[in-house]
Order: sequence, then C-alpha cells, then structure tokens
Amino acid sequence: MRHRFTAAKTLLTAGALVVLAACGSGGSSSSSGGGTGGSGAPVHGGNLIFAAVQDAQSMNNTTVFDNNSIWIFEQIFQPLYTVTNNGKGVMPWLATSYTMSPDKKTYTFQLRPGVKFSNGKPMTSADVKFSIDQNRKATQGWAYLDSAIESVGAPSPETVVIHLKFPWAPLLADLSIFANGIVPNNYDGQTEAQFYTHPIGTGPFKWDYWHKGQALKLVRNPFYWQQGKPYLNSVTWEDVPSDNTRELQLKGGQAQIDQTPAWSTVASLKTTPGVIMDLFPSTQTNYLAFNELRKPFQDVHVRRAISLAINRQALVKAVLFGNGKPANSLFPPQVPFYQAATPGLQYSLTAAKAEMAKSSVPHGFSTTILVPSGNSDYLTIATILQSELKPLGIKLNITQLDPNTTNTDEQSLKYDMVLTLWTMDIPDPDELATFAVDPKSGAKSFFTAYNNPAVVKDTHAAEVTTVPAQRQKLYNFVQAQSAADAFMAFLYYSPYPYATTSNVHGFFVTPLGNMHMENVWLSK
Amino acid sequence: MTFVLQRLLLLVPVAVGITIIVFFMIHLIPGDPARTILGIHATPRSIAILHRQWGLDRPLISQYWLFMDRLVHGDLGQSLFYGVPAAGLILSRTPATLWLVAYAGVLAIVISVPLAMIAATRKDGIRDHVVRAVPLLGLGMPPFWLGILLIYALAIKVRLFPVSGYGTGFGGHLHSMFLPALTVAIALAPVVIRSLRASMLNVLGAEYITTARSKGVPPSRLFFRHVLRNAVIPAVTVLGINIGFLIGGTVIIENVFAIPGIGQLMLNSIFERDFPVVQGVTLVFGVLVVLVNLLADLSYAALDPRVRFDR
Repeated sequence: MRHRFTAAKTLLTAGALVVLAACGSGGSSSSSGGGTGGSGAPVHGGNLIFAAVQDAQSMNNTTVFDNNSIWIFEQIFQPLYTVTNNGKGVMPWLATSYTMSPDKKTYTFQLRPGVKFSNGKPMTSADVKFSIDQNRKATQGWAYLDSAIESVGAPSPETVVIHLKFPWAPLLADLSIFANGIVPNNYDGQTEAQFYTHPIGTGPFKWDYWHKGQALKLVRNPFYWQQGKPYLNSVTWEDVPSDNTRELQLKGGQAQIDQTPAWSTVASLKTTPGVIMDLFPSTQTNYLAFNELRKPFQDVHVRRAISLAINRQALVKAVLFGNGKPANSLFPPQVPFYQAATPGLQYSLTAAKAEMAKSSVPHGFSTTILVPSGNSDYLTIATILQSELKPLGIKLNITQLDPNTTNTDEQSLKYDMVLTLWTMDIPDPDELATFAVDPKSGAKSFFTAYNNPAVVKDTHAAEVTTVPAQRQKLYNFVQAQSAADAFMAFLYYSPYPYATTSNVHGFFVTPLGNMHMENVWLSK
Repeated sequence: MTFVLQRLLLLVPVAVGITIIVFFMIHLIPGDPARTILGIHATPRSIAILHRQWGLDRPLISQYWLFMDRLVHGDLGQSLFYGVPAAGLILSRTPATLWLVAYAGVLAIVISVPLAMIAATRKDGIRDHVVRAVPLLGLGMPPFWLGILLIYALAIKVRLFPVSGYGTGFGGHLHSMFLPALTVAIALAPVVIRSLRASMLNVLGAEYITTARSKGVPPSRLFFRHVLRNAVIPAVTVLGINIGFLIGGTVIIENVFAIPGIGQLMLNSIFERDFPVVQGVTLVFGVLVVLVNLLADLSYAALDPRVRFDR
C-alpha cells in the first residue's frame, strides 16, 4: 500500500515536470495558425518565418550557384532590370530606361533617382560600374553571362554606359541576373570577404544575422526606394530539411511559408484549413539524359526508341500527383521563344519498337540508370522506366548512389542514363540552349556529349541576332532538331509548390524562382 | 583521481583512431565537394582551382598530416561549404545536441524510475506485465515516426509545445526541446526500466532489506535510501551505454525536430562532402561518448560508497 503511494507520488512528480516543461517558455511557440485568408489593404509589421529546404551557402552574388542563397540575397541586391512576373521579359528596376546605339553595341542606362543603399548612402553610376565589373571578374562564378561586355562607363552619377564587343540580344536578360546586382563601390571600403559577411544593397531588406545551418534573418531596409515597402519587419529563413517538419511547422503556425512541400501532400494541403497551397508556373524541366560517349547511346534510334517508350502522362501522375505537364521541348513554356508546336517525342510503343528495329541493338541491351539515393521522385521515375523499357528488350538496372556521387559521376560522364533537371537563371533561352547543346560549353551539352553542329550554330546565331522574329526562327530549329535527335528525353514540366499560412498575402514566385518579398504582408 | 586521469588520457588514442578511420573513410567515398558547390557550372579548371585552394590536390597522407598538424593546434580547418572555421561551426551547434542528450537522459530517468518501482513492487502482477510490455512499443517504434506523432498530438492539436526548434534561453530550451527529448527518452526507457526492475527485485530480496523492514524503517525511506540507491548502479551502466548510442542517433531526431545540433550538421556535411566538418563532428561525437561513459563510471562512486576507483 505504501509502496503504491510512493510510486504514485513519483509519477505525480514526473507529471509535474511535463507541465513545467510545457510552461518553460512563454514566447517561442507564438503562432497564429489559421489567418483571415482575405486580402484587403496591406498592413505593415510582422516577422515572417520561411521554412527552407536547405541553408544558404554564401552571400557572394557573383560566385554562388546555390538557389537557397540566391533567393535570399535577391532581397538585398537588386539589378538594373528585373524579371517580369511571367518570366518572359524584363522590366526597369534600378534603371528606368535605356537607349541603344545604331550599331547595337552601346547601351546607355538612366538610373532611378532617389535609390539608396541600406546604409543610407545614395546609389550612383560608380556603384553600378563597380558591381558589373566585379561580376565580369568572377571567372569562378557568373562572369560568362557578361562575356559580351567590352567595358562599363559612368559618365555622370545618373548614367551608365555599357559597351559591347558585338551586338548581344540577351544583354538585358543577362543584366537582370542577381550576379549583376548592385553593391556599393569598393564594397564600401571593405574587402570582398568582409563585405559578404554582412552585405549592403538597395533591396527591401537588410542584413541582420546568419547562424549557419540554423537561420538567416533580414530586417526591413528603412531606405528602400519603393515608398511604403516592404511591409514586413523581418524575414527569417530557417533551415528545415525534413518535408514533414516543414509541413508540421506550417500547420502549427511556427512558419508561414513551406518551401517545396512533398508532391504527395499537395492535395491534402489544398484542403487544409488555414493553409494556402500555391503552384506557381515554373521553368523547371526534368530530363532523362543519355551519355553519348557510351554504347549504344551514340545511336539516335536507341535514344529515340527510349524517348518514345516513356509515358510522360504516367510520370506526371505518379511523381507529381498530376501537378505538371508532359514536356515536348528542351525549353519550358515559361521561356521566351518556347515553341508549343515542337514535335517532341511522345509516348508511342509502336513507334518505339520501330525505332529499335532500325537501331544497332534491335534485340535490346542491358544498361543502368543512375539515381541519387533518398530522392523518391527519381526512384519512382526509374522504376517506371524499368517496366516501360522492357517491351523494347532493354534491361534497365537502377544504381542508387548518394547525391554527391551521382552529381560527380554525371558531370564526369560516368553513367549510361541519368535523371537531371534545369531551371532558368535569366529570362532568355541563351544560357539554357548553350549549356544544353554546345559540347564546348562548361556543361558539355548537359553532360551528354551531344554534338549537332547545325544546332550549335543556330544557338550561337540567336545570341547576336536582335530581331525577335529571327531569333524565334532560330530557336524553333534548335528545339525541333534537339527533340528529333533525342539527346535527352524531355520528361515533364513542373510548377514550384509553396504552401503558406492563410494570413500571408502578396507572396509570388516568378517562373525563374525569384520572390519579391517587399510585396508580402501578414494579416492579423 | 588517477582513474579519472587514466580515462582522460585514454581519450588521446581513441581520438587519433577516430581521426584515422573517419579521414580515410570519408575520402574513400566517391564524390567531390567542388562539383557540389559549382554544380552545372563546374569546369575542369574551376574544379582544379578549388581543389588547390582546399588542399585536395595533395596526396591523401599529406592531407591527413596537415589535418593532424592543425588539430594539435586546435584548428579543425575551414568548412568547404561555408568557408568559415569548422571548429566555430561545430562549437555553435554543440550546445543543442548536449541539451538534447542531457534532457533525454533526465526524462528517461523520470519515466523509468517510477515505472520500474511499480513493476518491482508488484512482481508478476498485471501492472508488472503492463509496465514490462507497453514501453516496448517505444523501443520498437522508429524515432522519426514517434517524433511526428508527438508533434501532431502535442504541438499541432494541443499546441502545448512548439513543432520544432531549439528555443532561446533556459526556459525556451526546456520548452522547445521537450518533445525531441521525450521521443528519445521513450526509446531509451524500456531498457532502463527492465534493468532497474531486475536489480530492484534482487535488492528487495536481500537480507538487509528484511532487517530494515523488521526494524520498522518507513517504506518510502526504505525504498529511496536502500532499494533504489543499490538497484540503480546497473541501470546507470545501461543508461550510459545507451546514451553513447543515442549521441549517434541524434542525427535523426535533430532532423525531425529541426534542431540545429551537430547531428544535423554532420548529415548535411556528409552530403556536401565538407570533409573538415565531418571529421570534426565525428571527433566530437567520439569524445562525447567516452566522456559519457566516464561519467557513468564516476557516478558509481557517488551512488555506492563502497566503490573507490583510486584504491
């Protein structure tokens, strides 16, 4: 009897500890959960938590290729022109207008008056010249996008002149990239390394802190040039790699934006009270790449047969739970000069068998597909391909390696087939087309070793042709011929999934992935 | 004191062994941090430049000596991913992991002691069977799944605790880390309960307990002063060993609860092939395991006056 009493007392103590723990903090679980969901007039204030898949890598906008870094420092650094909401063009940003010389080799930009950095100093043409020149020097970074630039001049504080080596159609698109974002002249008296530990820009937010691997916080820039913006006091990007945890944080009101919820949860999030599930049109395209250095992928009939045997609609259903579209072109629909009529190879088992019969391996062969471990979407695709290629006599083995090794093997062309994807950096197809089809580019034709001189020639011709109709014609050929050559199987186009709490308003993601956090506000 | 010194000195060969195994294992796995960072923009030239910058173009043995040379000077090298000192990165993440391990240990004891008492005092009764059987569910359930269930029940439905995170200040940590610590404690408790129950039954049958009872020692005093104190030593060993395993297991828990600890840092660093950070974290893990076991050994002396290590 007494023993029981003692045990009960101890259990009570344990219970009390639980309650104590629950009361331990007053503030760390603040949440609003379900908001109003209505729009109305924007209100100022609030601290937004953005649950990100991965931490940023660096704030150096001229050398970093990582999207998680880019989407953050785009809130600090701004370019002269920025991407339009449909992702197909540019609009004036830190510049208000430009004029082009008759020989199309000199552009004169008029800078926006009244723009200040977050330290209160005005932005001048010297800052613009310094910023673009820094990017041109970044040979380990994005300098290749500025390779057409001969020199940058700053004849007056409000005017910038860019001299080109030759006429260059994608110039404005290239200038709109974050790498050409404007930083203070000479890094405001600091070294490059010092500057990027607490960067200064003209964007809506300014630097607060970065606890690496945990959270990065930006706060409102009081000198921001768009009157009344930003609405939020701060945005904090928290590193939450687990899909489940991000979703639970959103439902628990601990985060307001969930970056990339799992496709399997999209339907349920659409019906979750207090949550808005957005699918923003994107430029993301998924491909199946063939290594043309390995047999039998030099054979166009083999590549065409495989491409024709893939039921893309089934992939969209299985992987994206219906939230995507089969791809027909190298270019996604949100890219300028995308040709909807491109005769990309689509599912036809009969046509696939006919191609196989014409190939060097009419009775089939054994091959492997490289899949990064832990990527369930890619594993699903590989498993579907395994069964779809069987009727062609192709025995497909799935090799799962960790993502880093997969990446290394892909780039070293140590693979037979590999799944890959692309999202646009600039609102012009030039970068994508060059990387995808030119074996001399850094990406070696998306690491396939594909080489069709006619396609390469037209890709480069489109760079120097400034007449849109002529560029369209050239890119039509590039799209049609690359589809016919089936150097990759174009699989599907997918949107960007973002879930937000319903009190988040004005959140929008362009097809290139850019976000204008200055437009975002939180209702009470 | 000699015992403690001996055990601390033992840390040196253990640490060296860990550095050798980890260094060569991580370099054996294919994958290149330069390619990860450069992505599709990687060119042979840009890769070579980064390799030279990081010293990865040197022979492996020479890289290891460089690592050891830095280590004895208290430098773990630069993180390849972040470009900051690895030691600083690890140091900033260690408190969260220590909090998790210590909190889980305390909760495991808080759960295990009363349940073991209930089971031991009602041997072979229904309560004993329930106490022995039900906690096994915690042992059999994957921690990530249990963690999600706890989040759903106590953070989403009831909103008693935050979904994830580490919190700020002592109260904040106590509050935010409760669910992750409970997840770990539930997995840890069944082993401790069984061990404690068995030793309690042993002690309860001892002659000195019968003598104490016959002398009229109150049951609560009898239990806490005589039974629990003597029965707890084997359980401390079990707890110590399991906390050792638990330190390695924090990788999963930290991921589920988005705790910025060294477990999560290690996972990310492995994927990024951030060699200096992986090496540093493994070293910290190894040292922690040895220290926890040393603490368990030292606690014997505190619990049992007959135990003296220096004699």
